[in-house]
Amino acid sequence: MYSETLNLKDDPMDYGIEVRDQEAVVRLRGRLTFNDHAKLRALIGEMGQNKPRRQVLDLSSLEFVDSAGIGMLLIAREEMDRADKQFVLRAAAGQVKRVLTVAQIAKIVQIED
Amino acid sequence: MTNGDTLPGGGATGLRTRFAGFVAPGLPPDRSDRLARALGLRPAEGPAEGPTGSGALALLVTDGSAAEKDSLWLPPIAAWVEPAAGDEDGGGVAALLAEASGTDLYVNLTTATAHDLQLGGRLLAAIGARHPLSGHRRDDIELALHEAVSNALVHGNLGVSGMKELSAQELERFSRDLGDGLADPVLAARRISIAVRIDPPQAVPAGPGPVGGLPKDASENGRALATVEITDQGAGFVPRRPERAGASGRGLDLIGSIADGLEIEDGGRRIRLRFRL
Repeated sequence: MYSETLNLKDDPMDYGIEVRDQEAVVRLRGRLTFNDHAKLRALIGEMGQNKPRRQVLDLSSLEFVDSAGIGMLLIAREEMDRADKQFVLRAAAGQVKRVLTVAQIAKIVQIED
Repeated sequence: MTNGDTLPGGGATGLRTRFAGFVAPGLPPDRSDRLARALGLRPAEGPAEGPTGSGALALLVTDGSAAEKDSLWLPPIAAWVEPAAGDEDGGGVAALLAEASGTDLYVNLTTATAHDLQLGGRLLAAIGARHPLSGHRRDDIELALHEAVSNALVHGNLGVSGMKELSAQELERFSRDLGDGLADPVLAARRISIAVRIDPPQAVPAGPGPVGGLPKDASENGRALATVEITDQGAGFVPRRPERAGASGRGLDLIGSIADGLEIEDGGRRIRLRFRL
């Protein structure tokens, strides 16, 4: 939902990883755009290295995603596939949920509420 | 080019914005004074100190940090223009402001500067300050503006091709090309220009409509229309069907699903979007 407070500062994407027994949960925050290529490369590396087979991207704190951001999520999915890992997008909301729907990402990636 | 006469005087030329002054937070005072003489405009200390009620201000942007404050994207500022390196007499800025005066909002920045700003979100703030936008429509228009600006900067001015196959190597290639492009002084100095016009709703005829039913497009004409033209200095492109399997290629589709009008001109260097507000 749009807040009246303008938040236009350079607000690059940030993430934190919590490794549990059955799954690793990566929580993305901020805005995921073409400019976050370096962060996404690092994230894909970390997801490939950690133990659990199931890698969950928690999108509940992600405020905005663009088409390049979606492309990078698809690259992450493909790399997890290569590493024989499962890749799940969880809890998208607001603009992010809308874009995932419009771009029909559910056909390619497992999406959970 | 020594006074305000270089700005069109309205009338037939379609004056839409009359600039009362400019704000130049990043410029040294002597250069600011020279520009003031060249433009025939008064330098203002900041948006709050501009002449009240008497017109718009132009922000002269020296780099990304000079335009970072959110208040600098709200009225009375209506143009965001970056003086070219070496434009000491201000002739270049005068020409850009002449163009700006034919629009409601105008941006003309180098790729390096535009890349540092969240230009899509900032444009949305500037448009939203003139015409209230809410909810989904606001999110959608922000995305469309962001995608069009990103295309102009990344694929246009920097000449970086989109991520094709789905692999970490391709992401790495994209990273490297983007970094190389921004580090190239010629590419980083290429311009992006954005012209926005906001037209009020057209009057819907009172009383009974024309014979045969309701006035055509009555509901559409009842809404304001924003026209946004984004121009880059890249090699252009030929629009084609995106390859569904790739990581890139969804941007133009997303824009098309949001905008009420989409035209691509000048061999792909200019995109014109229309949004019912």
